[in-house]
Amino acid sequence: MNRRLSIQTIIIALGAAFVVAPALASPPAKIALKGGRIIPVVGEDIPVGTVLIEHGKIKAVGKDVEIPYDAMVIDISGKVVMPGMIDAHSSRGLDIRNENLDVTPFLDVYDAIDPSKLYFEDALRDGVTSIHAIVGNNCVIGGLSRVIHPIGITPDEMTQQPSVSLKLSVSPQRGSDRMAQLATFRETFRELGEYLENLAEKKYEESLEKKDEKIKVGPDEAKKLGKDLIKPEDYDDKHRNLVKLTRGQLGAFVYAGRAGDVAAAASLAKEHGFFKRTTLVLGASCYKAIDEVKSANRPVVLDSKLLYREENPITGKITETFIPRVYADAGVAFSLLPSSNTSLAERYLNYQAARCVRNGVSRQAALEAITINPARALGIGDRFGSIETGKTANLVVMSGDPLDFSSWVDLVYINGIRAYERDDDIRLKQLLGEEKPEVAEPAKDEKGNGEAAGDKAAKADTDSAEDKSEETSEKAEKKKE
Amino acid sequence: MKTASIKHLRFAVALIAMGSFASSVLAGGLAIKAGKVVTMNGDDAILNNAIVFIEDGVVKGFGKQGETKIPKGYRVIDASDKWVVPGLVDAHNHTAGSLMDLNDMVYLTNPGLRTLETIVPDNELIKQARAGGVTSVLLIPGSGTNMSGFGTISKTAGRTVDEVVMRAPGSLKIAQAGNPEWYWYGVGRSYMNYNTRQTLEKALAYHKKWVAFEEKKVAEPPLFDPIFDEFRGLFQRKFPASVHTQIYQVVMTTIDMLANKLKIRTVIDHGTFDGFKTTPILKGSDVYTMNGPRQYWFDMSQRKMHGNCARWWQGGQKKLGCNTDAPVVPQAELSYQAAMACWYGWTPYEALKGVTRMPAEALMIDGEVGSLEPGKSADFGIWTGDPLDPRSSCEMTVVRGKVAYDAKVKRRF
Repeated sequence: MNRRLSIQTIIIALGAAFVVAPALASPPAKIALKGGRIIPVVGEDIPVGTVLIEHGKIKAVGKDVEIPYDAMVIDISGKVVMPGMIDAHSSRGLDIRNENLDVTPFLDVYDAIDPSKLYFEDALRDGVTSIHAIVGNNCVIGGLSRVIHPIGITPDEMTQQPSVSLKLSVSPQRGSDRMAQLATFRETFRELGEYLENLAEKKYEESLEKKDEKIKVGPDEAKKLGKDLIKPEDYDDKHRNLVKLTRGQLGAFVYAGRAGDVAAAASLAKEHGFFKRTTLVLGASCYKAIDEVKSANRPVVLDSKLLYREENPITGKITETFIPRVYADAGVAFSLLPSSNTSLAERYLNYQAARCVRNGVSRQAALEAITINPARALGIGDRFGSIETGKTANLVVMSGDPLDFSSWVDLVYINGIRAYERDDDIRLKQLLGEEKPEVAEPAKDEKGNGEAAGDKAAKADTDSAEDKSEETSEKAEKKKE
Repeated sequence: MKTASIKHLRFAVALIAMGSFASSVLAGGLAIKAGKVVTMNGDDAILNNAIVFIEDGVVKGFGKQGETKIPKGYRVIDASDKWVVPGLVDAHNHTAGSLMDLNDMVYLTNPGLRTLETIVPDNELIKQARAGGVTSVLLIPGSGTNMSGFGTISKTAGRTVDEVVMRAPGSLKIAQAGNPEWYWYGVGRSYMNYNTRQTLEKALAYHKKWVAFEEKKVAEPPLFDPIFDEFRGLFQRKFPASVHTQIYQVVMTTIDMLANKLKIRTVIDHGTFDGFKTTPILKGSDVYTMNGPRQYWFDMSQRKMHGNCARWWQGGQKKLGCNTDAPVVPQAELSYQAAMACWYGWTPYEALKGVTRMPAEALMIDGEVGSLEPGKSADFGIWTGDPLDPRSSCEMTVVRGKVAYDAKVKRRF
């Protein structure tokens, strides 16, 4: 009977999903990361310097930062500290990417975030400290997104910024065509206008009822007069976020899958008043609409597929375009995305940035594309995305240069809390074969003697089998005797 | 208002029926000589070689064999080599009524439906339940939609609906994720959670309107709404919500949305797969977990076997029990569910409590059933040994002081 478990194995088992994500304990008040190279992204690199963290915020950065006597000093000499990387667009923390409904502005990813997903553990291990959790592209208007960090056991604990943006897609995904997709937008916004007019009329009538007065004007006039009587709590769930969107109170992540969709995305945003809050999420071939993207002058999130390959149908000649290079050359600030295919190296944001450098994008632009650019696109650039005084202490300490792919993420700080430490990463060690996997149930033989777990147990089985065979042979011998 | 008076009338009829029924059968009372009485009371008392006295369907008190005299006129049942165990309570089952009418999947949430209308007293599955020592069951609707109606707590003995029904509504059935995902166009968790929350908020708004009227803050009574009226008891915490919930994220939402934000008395039904990982966020809440019918989860990422009940218990969830989800697991095998929980690492006595007192507490009927104490309903089974030992059998089941099953007359198992 192998079911008595030691307390230790229980603790390991219970913590299984959160092996590297510790509880959100209160951090030491002051931490000094001393002696490492600092890449602040905004501003010049500091070859040897100190980052001082106080109460979860960056207190000071520089070559000669005076370290208070009560600060915990962490020596990171020989290492590199950079801002935590930001995943500008990810559905991987959600239970499903999209609901099977076209228009769902009343939903919130809050209800779909699954903190127990291994994805969050991986993101932390890869140095990602902010994730923009947003529904996938398979929608017309998806729900609200939020920015989360990959530690915590509930969406509330994980949230850095709620209600960041609505997801809109001008490119059909479900088999309908582009005209139907855009017609759905038109219908949605027409219905919104109608709803607002009716609501205004209703509010006007209600206001007169309260005063015991009779309606004096026609419906058109009533709709105008009632407009100012609407309070924010009067909107119903279905329309509340759309109202915010059209008034520029919410961000919009607009997906354009093909070059031809960029213009549609821009005109949609302009027509309905959210252009100034729009971030363009662009499919691979959108680089062909670079002029339109440039003139739009909005933040851009690129597809994780960075290389565009095209075959000339007549000559058979294959042309390859490295997409971020086109944007960089045009002077468009872009954000890179990691691939959701976990078996590719594209899953690492710093690998994506390194590829950019290899293909002629400047090192600075590449680093910005995984840190400060996504932060700005998400409207959180004042708190995240660089190592600057006053910003949240979301930091990654790497064993070497972040764009050198032999570098490891050694430490991750989120809100000044040490969220990850490579030396304690049990699963990584298991993957690398440095440590044998723990097995919860110690194997026991029939006499109740505990045996070590895992492969030893298998060995024990063969041992006991041998014992038995020896026993039986002994017995047989005795019988013979 | 009209329905309320009808309800009272029905209750009165039930009481009269019960009273006359009990007195005709139980004149003089009943004494059980028991080898062992597992009382499941607050002190966890276990009485050896005791006598249980029962009058009018209620436990009167306990005596000691050889010391306490049995008064004249008492019918004596000799079980001096057997165990007397409180009648088992199943907080999640579908056997007390028509199996055809469990899942009316009209909308994604269906407030206003009740299983009370589908009760079939003394049906074949209930007869089986009795033979397994089960005396109280919560009949809840299926989990095809996010909200499938109100459940009914029913006894496993009785011939009419009024005789068997203990409390209606017994609970509100909510199903978060899992089965409702197959609703005809397919839905994800963000839509389901939104939908459930929205329905409950509507019901809460209705309740608040009535509260305002009752507290005389508003002069006119609100419009009566038959769909939302029964939710008032839910928000007054008179009965719990039985929540079909399993898998970490879903159980987390159950705790966060229902128990913490909407302040509903919540019972986690199932709670399986890695649902037990939610114990850190359960701290200090009055959420009960009725684990089952699955009793273990194999964690592929860690290659480890986890006993669900054992993990809930180790994580600090002491308000823990088992269910059968009958007929998924036969109702009579509720004791096996507890036994399986022990096989996967839970503690035997606690597991027995997990099919008696704990489900009674979870359903808020512990004033009546779940333990053998003076004043409580005389619902118990007479077992050949520990009910958690699969070799033991229930030889006799007594419900409200009346023998409902006797293996000597007609043995089922």
